[in-house]
Amino acid sequence: MAGYPLGVITLVIVFLLIYFGLAHRVLDRLYLSDRAGLALVAAMIAGSFINIPLLSGPITTSINVGGGLIPIGLAVYVLYRAGTAKEVWRALAAAAVTAAAVFFLNSVLMPTEPWNFALNILDPLYYYPLVAGIVAYLVGRSRRAAFIAAILGILALDVIDFFRLLAAGVRGTVAIGGGGIFDITILAGVVAVLLAELVGEARERLQGGPEAEGRPRSLLASLKIGQARKLLNEDADKKRGGQDE
Amino acid sequence: MSKGKKLALGLLSVMLGLTIISFSRAGIPAFNPLQNIARIGLWEREYTGGRYTVIKDEHGRIIDMMARVVYKGDEIIAADNTRYRVERVEGDTAYAREIGRERIAWEDYESVPAAAGAQRAQAGRTPGGARNLIAIYHTHSDESYVPTDGTDSIPGHGGIFKVGSVMAQKLRSQGVNVDHDLRSHDPHDSDAYRRSRRTAVSLLQKGPGALIDVHRDGVPDPSFYQETVANEDVTKIRLVVGRENQNMGANLDFAKRLKAYADKKYPGLMRGIFLGAGSYNQDLSPRAILIEVGTHTNKRDEAQRGAALFADIIPTVLGITAVPPPGAVPPSTAGDWKGVLWVLAAFLIGGGAFLILSAGSWEKAKARLKQITSIEWTNFLGRRLRKPSREAPGQANVSKDDKVEEKELNDERAPFQKD
Repeated sequence: MAGYPLGVITLVIVFLLIYFGLAHRVLDRLYLSDRAGLALVAAMIAGSFINIPLLSGPITTSINVGGGLIPIGLAVYVLYRAGTAKEVWRALAAAAVTAAAVFFLNSVLMPTEPWNFALNILDPLYYYPLVAGIVAYLVGRSRRAAFIAAILGILALDVIDFFRLLAAGVRGTVAIGGGGIFDITILAGVVAVLLAELVGEARERLQGGPEAEGRPRSLLASLKIGQARKLLNEDADKKRGGQDE
Repeated sequence: MSKGKKLALGLLSVMLGLTIISFSRAGIPAFNPLQNIARIGLWEREYTGGRYTVIKDEHGRIIDMMARVVYKGDEIIAADNTRYRVERVEGDTAYAREIGRERIAWEDYESVPAAAGAQRAQAGRTPGGARNLIAIYHTHSDESYVPTDGTDSIPGHGGIFKVGSVMAQKLRSQGVNVDHDLRSHDPHDSDAYRRSRRTAVSLLQKGPGALIDVHRDGVPDPSFYQETVANEDVTKIRLVVGRENQNMGANLDFAKRLKAYADKKYPGLMRGIFLGAGSYNQDLSPRAILIEVGTHTNKRDEAQRGAALFADIIPTVLGITAVPPPGAVPPSTAGDWKGVLWVLAAFLIGGGAFLILSAGSWEKAKARLKQITSIEWTNFLGRRLRKPSREAPGQANVSKDDKVEEKELNDERAPFQKD
């Protein structure tokens, strides 16, 4: 970076620290420890420099290690570790809906320059994660679902691109996760989880604790507050009652 | 059905659904080949309805035209350095108010780096190494010029690539290394910037001094961009800076420098600077710029000559043709520092609001902040003391999942925080 003004270097470093910090906080929510999270951020940064070519010809296809392979692997891992089948289906449904929603936005509502659409005041860069986050929260109802929906949903756009280019016979590039750690895929994953967290926390705060009625007891066991505690106490009372008889 | 099978089935059905969606939009060539011929490049043609915005000042005088929808808050620095802000938009007409006059003069910028052309540096031997590289790419790879290319859009092979090539050639002739990326980012839709982002990142990994996304405008009137500069018929060049990213201040300063030197060396070449809603992937670098070289109704030759003149000014602005005194670097601009402040302010305000919201009260937020600084950082930086293993050597039959849980989850955070 020699030769860059100090201001530029500071700007870049401050931005990177905050971005990587946020990414790390998000990974922290995905069945990973602090260290594993940190190691993954490092792996994604290093992996950003590695592109694996898949197909050449008119449609150049490649997958980036840091922006493609690692996040996809992580999404599949989170899916695999999901507590209930319902969680898996919800996350996959959220991914499909995210892909459809973003594709609809891009190709039907804003088929031209993004700025030629009257309602659009945000750069597409920001609505990918917003859509993924909102959809994931509505359909998936969890941070992990938000992550899966964002990663797989945005990845699906590349699959759609590939088939569109193939169908039209036009030269093109499908570089899955090619932006490395700055790819929209990871950006969407990070923002979607933070958004789900923000919405979730706000909602739980408003209703005075997470909803507990009708939830599996195994999930409630780790909750020590509000309604969850009441239900667990009731369970314990019943159990004790049963033993006494 | 096992969990693994369900997962595989689920992923498969998602992929299948996406395939159906993509084919339903693009048409399956095998089934209706004739229809497909007509559909080639369909996306690219759809946008060429010739729609464009006219921007007027308070007196109804036309100050600018461009093939984008303009939003309230967008700003224009006109060729004469008058700065306008769009106040209201009615259909395809935007009304802007003059908000001041920018002082954009090369004299203010030229102190460092040293005077242009004093000592031409050899390629690759410039102090500051990587700064002797300029990266050029094209987000809209179909953009073409009707009088020369026959159409305004050639999917995957737009005339814009040739304009980029001329720029690259001119830069190389001045001893600058150029990475001109020829990847196509078609179709030309809202998703093009997501695709070109990958190209931009791969170019930035080589450490260029500047990253230039070369476009052309879509205003129907060719005379709006035509000009005679340095006895050549050229098209003017517009610089576009995205407002919606943390690098806006730094990139605007870069744009002003470019305009300042262009105004000095080739008066009339610059159409002005447009500060639009959007990011244009400029969040990736504080030295990224989008340029519009003429419009689709201009001849490509004119655009190429305009691009060559523009390329001529870049090395001086970046300080890579002159060898600066040892240790001298271009000074930080006010925009660079403004960017730093913006990022920090956004982080503090956003993080603070979230902290208070999630903690429920100011006191609890403070306690949580303390927890972050005391527990999480020690956890992060110091070695965590391992609990002595309670497992006897023979007891290896604990299920694998349980083991992972015990070792990998964070002890300081309740499990519900991780859902």
